[in-house]
Amino acid sequence: MKLKKPLFAALLLLSGFAFSAAAEDKPAAKAAEPPPAPMSMGTEYTEKGADTCLQCHVEGGDFPVYEIFKTKHGNRADKRTPFAPGHLQCEACHGPGKKHADNGGGPDGINSQKRTSFLTPQQRNKYCLACHQNGARTGWIASTHDANNVACSDCHKIHAERDPVLTKATQPDVCYKCHKKERADFSKPSAHPVRFGTMTCSDCHAPHGANTAALLVKPTVNQTCYTCHAEKRGPFLWEHAPVAEDCTLCHYPHGSVNQWRLKKNPPLLCQQCHSVAGHPSVARTSASLPGGAGGGQAFLLAGSCLNCHSQIHGSNHPSGYKLMR
Amino acid sequence: MKTSNQLLLLGVLSALSSATAAAADGAAAVDTSQWKCESCKFEQGVSGTLDVGAGTVSDKSAEFGQYNGLQKKGGFFIGGASVRSRGADGTYWNLDASNLGLDTRSVDAEGGKQGSYKLRLKYDETPHRIWDGALTPFAGSGGASLTLPAGFAAATTAGMPLAGQLNQVDLATQRKQVGVGGSWIPNTNWEYAFNYRHETRDGNKATAGSFFVNSTQLIEPTDYVTDQVDASASYASKKFQLKFAYYGSKFTNSNHSLTWADPYGTAAFLGTFPGAAAGQLALPPDNQFHQVSATAGYQISDKTRFSGDIAIGRMTQNDSFLPYGTAVPGPGGSLNGRAKTLDAGLKLSSAVTDRLRLNAAYTHNDRDNETPQSLYAVISTDMFPGAPRTNLPYSFKQDKLKLSADYRVSERLRGAVGADFDSHKRTYAEVDTTHENTAWGKVTSSLTDKIDLTLKLAHGERRNSGTFQPIAGITPPENPLLRRFNLANRTRDTVGLRGDFTPMERLSIGLGLDTSEDKYADSTIGLTNAKDYNLNGDVSLVVSERTNLRLFAIHQEIKSKQAGSQTFSVPDWFADNKDTIDTFGLGIKHAAIKDKLDIGADWSASRSRSQIDVSTGVSNPAFPDIRAKLDTLKLYATYRLKESMSLQAGYWIERYSTQDWMLDNVVPSTIPNVLTMGLQAPQYHVNVLSLALRYKF
Repeated sequence: MKLKKPLFAALLLLSGFAFSAAAEDKPAAKAAEPPPAPMSMGTEYTEKGADTCLQCHVEGGDFPVYEIFKTKHGNRADKRTPFAPGHLQCEACHGPGKKHADNGGGPDGINSQKRTSFLTPQQRNKYCLACHQNGARTGWIASTHDANNVACSDCHKIHAERDPVLTKATQPDVCYKCHKKERADFSKPSAHPVRFGTMTCSDCHAPHGANTAALLVKPTVNQTCYTCHAEKRGPFLWEHAPVAEDCTLCHYPHGSVNQWRLKKNPPLLCQQCHSVAGHPSVARTSASLPGGAGGGQAFLLAGSCLNCHSQIHGSNHPSGYKLMR
Repeated sequence: MKTSNQLLLLGVLSALSSATAAAADGAAAVDTSQWKCESCKFEQGVSGTLDVGAGTVSDKSAEFGQYNGLQKKGGFFIGGASVRSRGADGTYWNLDASNLGLDTRSVDAEGGKQGSYKLRLKYDETPHRIWDGALTPFAGSGGASLTLPAGFAAATTAGMPLAGQLNQVDLATQRKQVGVGGSWIPNTNWEYAFNYRHETRDGNKATAGSFFVNSTQLIEPTDYVTDQVDASASYASKKFQLKFAYYGSKFTNSNHSLTWADPYGTAAFLGTFPGAAAGQLALPPDNQFHQVSATAGYQISDKTRFSGDIAIGRMTQNDSFLPYGTAVPGPGGSLNGRAKTLDAGLKLSSAVTDRLRLNAAYTHNDRDNETPQSLYAVISTDMFPGAPRTNLPYSFKQDKLKLSADYRVSERLRGAVGADFDSHKRTYAEVDTTHENTAWGKVTSSLTDKIDLTLKLAHGERRNSGTFQPIAGITPPENPLLRRFNLANRTRDTVGLRGDFTPMERLSIGLGLDTSEDKYADSTIGLTNAKDYNLNGDVSLVVSERTNLRLFAIHQEIKSKQAGSQTFSVPDWFADNKDTIDTFGLGIKHAAIKDKLDIGADWSASRSRSQIDVSTGVSNPAFPDIRAKLDTLKLYATYRLKESMSLQAGYWIERYSTQDWMLDNVVPSTIPNVLTMGLQAPQYHVNVLSLALRYKF
């Protein structure tokens, strides 16, 4: 694949954008017709707060909002919430609403928290982060999702009594909106049980930002896997180096067409790294299939290499250096 | 990490730290004393739903019921609840229960006073049905000692008296987890949290043991307990957030070894190898991991933010050693295995202008294995002395620096560029260090209000620190031309293209293409090339006020090439792998009778094919394709009998068929020197019918 040229052309182009930032911080005005006044946030709050908003946002209307009162946000007794006495109610999250109300609604003057908003995702998120920059969100800024312009409301339904992304069975469908390939992964013959609702994406991933690759809940891949597979943690007397280094060197974490979520079937998987003189270096062909003329079925069928090297994740047996005990 | 990279990081951090900007958002001050919220319908009292019903499964299948608890033929109870209670003073409790009639049952209870404290109790079961009907001649399956009937042993599997001597055993494990947790918020800045989980995992799974080249598939007992604790203290203010945490994990295995009688241990064999009447496998040893961590975030200015974390851990394992062989005493004592972990990250991000944001992130991951080294007098597969070996405690250290700039050209166009510098050090490896540098760029454009496009390109090059050297202490040595793929020089190119189209408000269409290619140009033997190609599309359509439809299709190809040498010299055989996976789905929801009857259907189909070609220069028939075919149709309906009562019906049809030459027609006597359990590639056709009454209050 000849990617270098287009890659570097694109990088050059983007570098141009970056370097021009300091010099040119405003868009060039169009010469022809005057542009419509850009939408902007209002600066004044409504007269009565939520009581103003709820005059239009009625139950059964086009923009239902009442379920907010069934959620943690809609709790007056918790002094942290938008509806606690003295707080800004709807306008805590949607911004000063007088302009929006005076306009009779519409997208201008308000943070709708929707993708169709005139505000950028970062601008919309700022309202959420004003209260939620702690805990898991400490590293949100410049995290993978933030850098890819994901807004909080792209995943969270704030007005729903049960936010689908916080419910085990429904969370994957929210993630699949962007992570298309993973939906297919979990339908592969060997897959973690996300398809059945007994496991969910956030069991392994920290979507609000982590310093690990793939936003994992623990600092490394292996530490994440050990939360459910502690029996593979060791340290063993005889370690298998790639196992101790990174589970994903041999396994697909989501799903695979091969047994045990392997990246390919043994013996070829193992022969990528093992080619000592003797049986590991021998090519296993279809001649070793049942009824074939060749021998060596033990190296190809059933568990293949694992027929003997069953302690592939490490062994604590004093004679187990070949991972056979 | 190179000194130059560290200097670069410091420079960037310094530059970003100085960037400041005004914080004003332009909002006016407001007096909220008259904001009565009289129209607000704050929830109080108890509400929720209760589900009671029954279902039936048409057939027994471990594969179908692998994780969903529906592995048995026959009826099952449907029970579930979701109850909420809200008090005016912020007190609350929630109770959620699901799948009460299945071994996937889960109960989650939480209560407290919102904003002050909460307590949580949790119970959860997760099955893993692995295989039904594993065939084994051993008695004692599920225990730590497997014995054979008298006179069973033979030199080959064909000579063993298998007829009438094979027992059927289902392979399955069941996890049961009890959790208790809570948190306390003494004031608006601090929160203390605690969570403890006790998980048991019982059952059995497959393993194998051998005597030199004669192998046997065995049933390994699984009787694990894992206890995990999380405790944390968090502080948060507008500008500064801090969290101190402790994580502890303790794994305990009731079985430390599995002993099995040798089915190849004929009198003649045992005459030569008297110690090989039985073998012993070490089972996963008890171990512990303890980790303390700190996470901090600081808003240096309105536009510049720092965050960082550090975690220091220690894993230990000190199980008593088994004997060298069933007939040979062991070294005595235990390993005193211990490894230190140090994981740290720093991140600095600054919106230098309204359009330009600069980011720098650095991570360090270190697993320092301090396990003592010693010489072990090996007995190979309980048969004969092998050359004594010294254990190799592997350590890994990785430093990664990521720099990026994100620039918003206009409301419709954004660009980003970045560079990642990755340094990875390993002990007891053919090369000490690998360095990988990756450059990437991304453009996101809203061409119109209805079309969004994103293109991302990346190019990475990994180089190792010098020549490959054999690892001292590993014999026999590897072919000097072999390059392990995680150490080898590599060039990686990736392309991601995504388009989202919204031709009308009710219709959205997404198309995506992702490709990746790894080239190992300097690898003569081993993995030489790997490609991944993924094409996906999805459609979401609001057909009418009462009907929604969604459709998705995904095509994936995973290809790789590798080379080997049977003569311990230059490559003399080559292998190609190609996995092709197609997945389709269609879902429809329809309000058949408004506010009375909702119906829906979800159909999905997945097809996978693995093509393997091993070329030695000698003509052999191609391997048959390994195939899997999964079809799932779920139909569901909800009929409201009255405001508080509804009937929920579901019908789930699933068909699965596979062809896998590794398993198909491999019965216990197929391989002369491997006594298998006859596990066949799974197939099933299962229907599940369910009917439940939901009471809402």
